[in-house]
Amino acid sequence: MGMTQKKLERWQQAGLLTPGQIEAILAFENQHPQRANWWLYSFMILGTAIIGLGVISLIAANWANIPDGVKLGADFLLLAVLAGGIYQQYPNQQHGIWFEVLVVGFMLLCLASIGLISQIFHVGGQWYHALLFWAAITFLLSLFARNGFTRFFWVTLFLPGALWSIVSGMGWHFQHTLDEFPAVILLAPLFAAVLYSTCIQVKWLRGFSPSLFFWFQISAIMALAFADIARSGGEMMDYQVVWYFPAYIAAGVLAVGIVLHKDYKWLNKLLLLAALVLLLLYYHPDWLFSGEQRYTLFGSRDHAAVSFWRADDIRAPLLTLLILFLYAIHAGNVGHQRTFNLITFLIGLRFVILYFQAMGGLAATGIGLIISGSLIIGIAWLWYKGRDRLRAWTKELKA
Amino acid sequence: MNKRILLLTALILPILALMASAYLKSAQRSSGEQVILPIEGFDPRDLLSGHYLIYQVDYGLETGCTEHDVETSICLRPQRQMFAADALPEDCTLFIRGYCDGSADFRAGIERFYIPEEYAEALEKQVRDKRGELVLSVDSQGNAAIRDLLINGKPWQETVQP
Repeated sequence: MGMTQKKLERWQQAGLLTPGQIEAILAFENQHPQRANWWLYSFMILGTAIIGLGVISLIAANWANIPDGVKLGADFLLLAVLAGGIYQQYPNQQHGIWFEVLVVGFMLLCLASIGLISQIFHVGGQWYHALLFWAAITFLLSLFARNGFTRFFWVTLFLPGALWSIVSGMGWHFQHTLDEFPAVILLAPLFAAVLYSTCIQVKWLRGFSPSLFFWFQISAIMALAFADIARSGGEMMDYQVVWYFPAYIAAGVLAVGIVLHKDYKWLNKLLLLAALVLLLLYYHPDWLFSGEQRYTLFGSRDHAAVSFWRADDIRAPLLTLLILFLYAIHAGNVGHQRTFNLITFLIGLRFVILYFQAMGGLAATGIGLIISGSLIIGIAWLWYKGRDRLRAWTKELKA
Repeated sequence: MNKRILLLTALILPILALMASAYLKSAQRSSGEQVILPIEGFDPRDLLSGHYLIYQVDYGLETGCTEHDVETSICLRPQRQMFAADALPEDCTLFIRGYCDGSADFRAGIERFYIPEEYAEALEKQVRDKRGELVLSVDSQGNAAIRDLLINGKPWQETVQP
């Protein structure tokens, strides 16, 4: 018995539906069969990926014994066969699982082909250039994908390729590879947000918007977490403003997009712009931060030299909480329930971590553990009971 | 445009782009002038990375990079010398284009040689013992492509056992 039928029976027993209505619903569902389940897609695509990896491993393991021409010939022949399969499956694309599976297989093989060419000709390029090249040559094909996973797969590989290529392409002198990381991690959410706004406006690109929004949120959380950890540790003072140049350009474009957004009230625009400015300030080397910490790691003792409000390890969490709070009000106000729940949960989590940062020494004692446990339970309870009220409040906020 | 034609374009485009990429690399490898340069491992810990060897090419220069992150060329004929990319003398008839990186090392995109895993240790040892040489193809624009790796003057497949 399917889930729909079980639910219908429950609703009938509760007196919500009549037997006639149930029959009509079941007849309708039978006439309109559901699309293949997500797990079927996932397993088919997973299987394709594993087969692809197997082929690549076979080539990689024996490549010294196989002549270059044979390797390349076999690779292009396989690409051509997959292309033929995709073309043949196209009329069934609206409901065709094989179409999607073959598209993902073809895209994977394109990526493997780039690796194979690099291997044969000993190309010493960068991984992000390879990803960007792959994204460029498969972009048109990704537009034909109907399944969200296929577009998600494309976006997931395109974003790091584009981000690292942009930052490294600016030609700055990074002393260490890790120096590029803050520039990339700040650019990531801003770039994803700009692309998301663009895709929402253009009809034939709209299919990418859920994936871009997902990565915008994930990368924004990562950018906040990274800045929080680095700033709390007194890091990032020696970074140069010029390295954030791509992020500043993306932020400028995003700010213009927010201001011109037709569906946002001025309150939403104000909240988003404030969150954006605070995020940029978070990464700025020395405007809000001094490089001085009040507490040692886990807060076992404090440095008397730094006042409470000047300490980076106090300012950083406060800034994180403020940015999260601004975005939570925006999300609640526009009705993004899941985002609102996630952000308010993160606010609670950051409060708990802040407690351990400041009171870590106390937490090592029996009384401290009792207080810590109570705090965690209290914040979880407050979040659970209070989030609906808070969401209702954010919705009521008017322009 | 008809959707089928668009799909066909979407399928042919990546294949053509990959074929063009392979062709260009192949043409670059076979058309330039052959140059053989010795190589050495600059850091034994980092010499072998996954399925490729990384090394430093010995261009036979007395002085290396003096600046970071600048386009640079190494003239190989008539005299071996490093120049800023825009200051290469006209009488230089054979040169390799590259750049001085953040660590003031000259890079020309030829510092990686892919090898099968089973030969890795043996090759690493030979290169560390300064027995390795790189056979390059250098075109008139200064682009260098790897043709082969020599160990004791012979192709590596002939001299190294897994």
